[in-house]
Amino acid sequence: MRHHVLSWSLWALAALMPTLMTRNPLYLLITVLAVALGYAQHQGKTGAAWGTFLRAGLMLWVLTVPFNALFVHHGDIVIFSLPRSWPFIGGPITLEAVIYGTVSGLALFTILLIFATYNAQVSHYELLRHTPGFLYQASLVTSIAITFVPQMLASANDIREAQMVRGHKFRKLRDMLPLFMPLLTSGLERAVQLAESMESRGFGGNLAPVSWRQAMAQRLATLLGLVGLLIGFFLSAYFPQRSQPGWIIAGMGGILLLGVFRVQGSRVQRSRYHRSTWSGEDTIIATASALVLAIFTSAKLLAPQMLSYYPYPPFPLTPDFNPLLGGILSLLAVPALLYELSPDNGPRLSRPPSFPRAPSINHQTRTYQ
Amino acid sequence: MIEFRDVTYAYPGALSPVLNHLNMSIEDGEFILVVGPSGAGKSTLLRCLNGLVPHFYGGRFGGQVQVFGDDPLEKEPREMSHVVGFVFQDPETQFVVGTVEGELAFAMENHNLSPLLMRKRVEEVLDQLNIAHLRNREVSTLSGGEKQRVAIASVLTLSPRVLVLDEPTSQLDPQAAEEILTTLQKVNADLGLTIILSEHRLERVVQYADRILYMPGVGQEPISGSPQEVLQHIDLTPPLITLAKELGWDEIPLTIKAGRKQVRRMPLMAEILSSEIHPSTAGSEQGDAPQSPSPITMENVWFSYNGHDALRGVSLSVRPGEFIALMGRNGSGKTTLLKQILGLLRPKRGTVRVYGLDTSHTDLEHIVSHVGYVPQNPGSLLFAETVREELDFTRLSHKLPKGDYVPLLTQLGLAAHAESYPRDLSVGERQRVALATILVADPEIILLDEPTRGLDYVQKRSLAHLLQKQKAEGHTVLMATHDVELVATCADRVIILGDGEVIVDGPAREVMAGSMVFASQINKLFRDPRFLTVEDVLHAVGSRKSPS
Repeated sequence: MRHHVLSWSLWALAALMPTLMTRNPLYLLITVLAVALGYAQHQGKTGAAWGTFLRAGLMLWVLTVPFNALFVHHGDIVIFSLPRSWPFIGGPITLEAVIYGTVSGLALFTILLIFATYNAQVSHYELLRHTPGFLYQASLVTSIAITFVPQMLASANDIREAQMVRGHKFRKLRDMLPLFMPLLTSGLERAVQLAESMESRGFGGNLAPVSWRQAMAQRLATLLGLVGLLIGFFLSAYFPQRSQPGWIIAGMGGILLLGVFRVQGSRVQRSRYHRSTWSGEDTIIATASALVLAIFTSAKLLAPQMLSYYPYPPFPLTPDFNPLLGGILSLLAVPALLYELSPDNGPRLSRPPSFPRAPSINHQTRTYQ
Repeated sequence: MIEFRDVTYAYPGALSPVLNHLNMSIEDGEFILVVGPSGAGKSTLLRCLNGLVPHFYGGRFGGQVQVFGDDPLEKEPREMSHVVGFVFQDPETQFVVGTVEGELAFAMENHNLSPLLMRKRVEEVLDQLNIAHLRNREVSTLSGGEKQRVAIASVLTLSPRVLVLDEPTSQLDPQAAEEILTTLQKVNADLGLTIILSEHRLERVVQYADRILYMPGVGQEPISGSPQEVLQHIDLTPPLITLAKELGWDEIPLTIKAGRKQVRRMPLMAEILSSEIHPSTAGSEQGDAPQSPSPITMENVWFSYNGHDALRGVSLSVRPGEFIALMGRNGSGKTTLLKQILGLLRPKRGTVRVYGLDTSHTDLEHIVSHVGYVPQNPGSLLFAETVREELDFTRLSHKLPKGDYVPLLTQLGLAAHAESYPRDLSVGERQRVALATILVADPEIILLDEPTRGLDYVQKRSLAHLLQKQKAEGHTVLMATHDVELVATCADRVIILGDGEVIVDGPAREVMAGSMVFASQINKLFRDPRFLTVEDVLHAVGSRKSPS
């Protein structure tokens, strides 16, 4: 990983927000190009895995166009018409629907490309180390699940082959038993072994003691938070015209629950090992990303018409373009530019060890023994 | 010091205890080898040391265990991890975080060590185990041996007093196993770490051990003593030691070097070795085959996975009734070659024919009516409620009627288990059930992928016996394996693959005698193509003695 996980996270957020806020094809194109530059630099290392993912994304994009054109018959410029008697798809096929389908597909593809680039650049475990303490367990489970899936697929393939060579044919659902049973049992055996290994390496220990009063307070707060959430959702669902008080109560309940999680999470005494450091380049990426985020959020709040694009009448078919917004968006290419400008393009983490060196202590780090 | 006092343990629901009134003690810095047949309670004993037994497994526990002043019964495995580092059998299933450095830090993070200390320990352990070059790698990209070294490193970062390893090399090829064992010897010598290791491949490890603890069977009292003492009294011995016992050598040699000294003291052996090599025992091509058609032929076969050439221009022809061993490093293309014969993979270039059928243009159904395949992991095959149902399933899949399985099961030593649940059986028994599920369809060609993984000497011997019987009945056998001793006992011909190419192909005796890595223990001792197995030597000695 070349840059700090936090600067990449901010970059991913900055790329995602405009994509979710606008359907303007010009802004989307700028985003896609800027992100694709970052992706292309990493293609040698992880391109094979994400290549399939992106090909699926392209397929999805291609499918969105006929889907929108066939099901939305709104618009003035008719390309051709299908008989009205055909259910759902009968009616005029309009240029507006084709364009809107294309733009929506582009937005979808952009999101997938951002996801692929982020994953190619950031190590899962480095990300896990930066999750807040109270989310650590949940994140670890996710991380294990991610590594479990490829193992499971490989072992499914081995079992399928072994049973086929034994003369078995997989035709009906019932024929799957010789595949599922060994897969399930081997999966369980593997899970037990992993659990043993984790326990033998001290996982799940070191809980700070808690007084009776604190324990009761936490339980009470959990109960209040849950009740708040329930009442809030109930009020907002049953009084849609005056949903604000409901949302406020639900929000308060949610905040209370998060607080409880945080307090409980801080009981787990766990330190974090870091070697990645924040560099000048990270500051540049973070600043650029923050700028994109700030400008687009302000535009959305203060002048939403600057971002809106809707090709159906009465709105114009051609999108507006604000050079300032376009220029700001192109800042998403900063990581790619820094990579190109850098004299050595090798990964920063592989420098020779020079210990003992002052560690980069994370702000989450807790008391030490 | 580690002490077991009157320890009795039974798993939940088990009628008899696995450990029965066990008493033993282990000194600080000792290297202990725990051996015994599969299912004798070796893993259970090791798991008592860090409290996985009984905390993780439940069951009934009696007696007391003390590990350097800590009581694993009182403390949980996670607390014991400061004292006991535990490394498991399968390198694939013990990693949590995915990167080498992350794995090394995981245990220390759990123990809330300071970042400065973590940095120091990570660097020290990386250097100690010689894996600094792997620090930024994803664990999934490492070889088996590298993974196991990372697993050892990941528990050493807590600076434990004892390192416990449960058959750490059983999934590895000989070179990788050697790497692990020399690493262990180094940490034992340099750091004074107490090492307790269970292992089936005694020939590799026995020279490093200070003491052997032999567990004869479920609930039976273990025997403990110096390697020489214990090996003198047990059946599970590597070929060198078996030979020493058979020839009545006064001292049991633990290394080939020590064995050579003993050989030099035997005038009879010197006489045999200086005599001329008789052509019939030196191993030659079988002369009677050319007339009968070849069951398997491969012509210039190329195959690649993700752009990497796994097979590069492989050509070979198998004679009917031949027993071929495919050898070579992990990743040299052995499994790929077997899958080509089955038609599971099809060549990119070249042709593979099985009984004249071109696998590229033939349905799997037709090929598997001739070929049976036992995969590396017998668990891939077993799914039914009983062993009998497993056999029925194969027969029905091949559109054959159900049969009487008693002779086959008796031959495989499984007669008592016809109604057992296959997954409840021991590793060796499961391996034999998997073999039975293939043999029950009576294929002409039998393919085996690493059939001796996790088997002890007795189980290996019975497998070798069974495979020889199959060959005698006219079956053609192709076996991918690292097990040189099994090859020495069974194979007629050895094909060594290297990076997808056939490096050597010839009669087993010639190939093994001429190889540095793939020679059997007995062959290393004599460096003579006449002697690959203990039987070869005993036969030569016997025939010399009897005429005189």
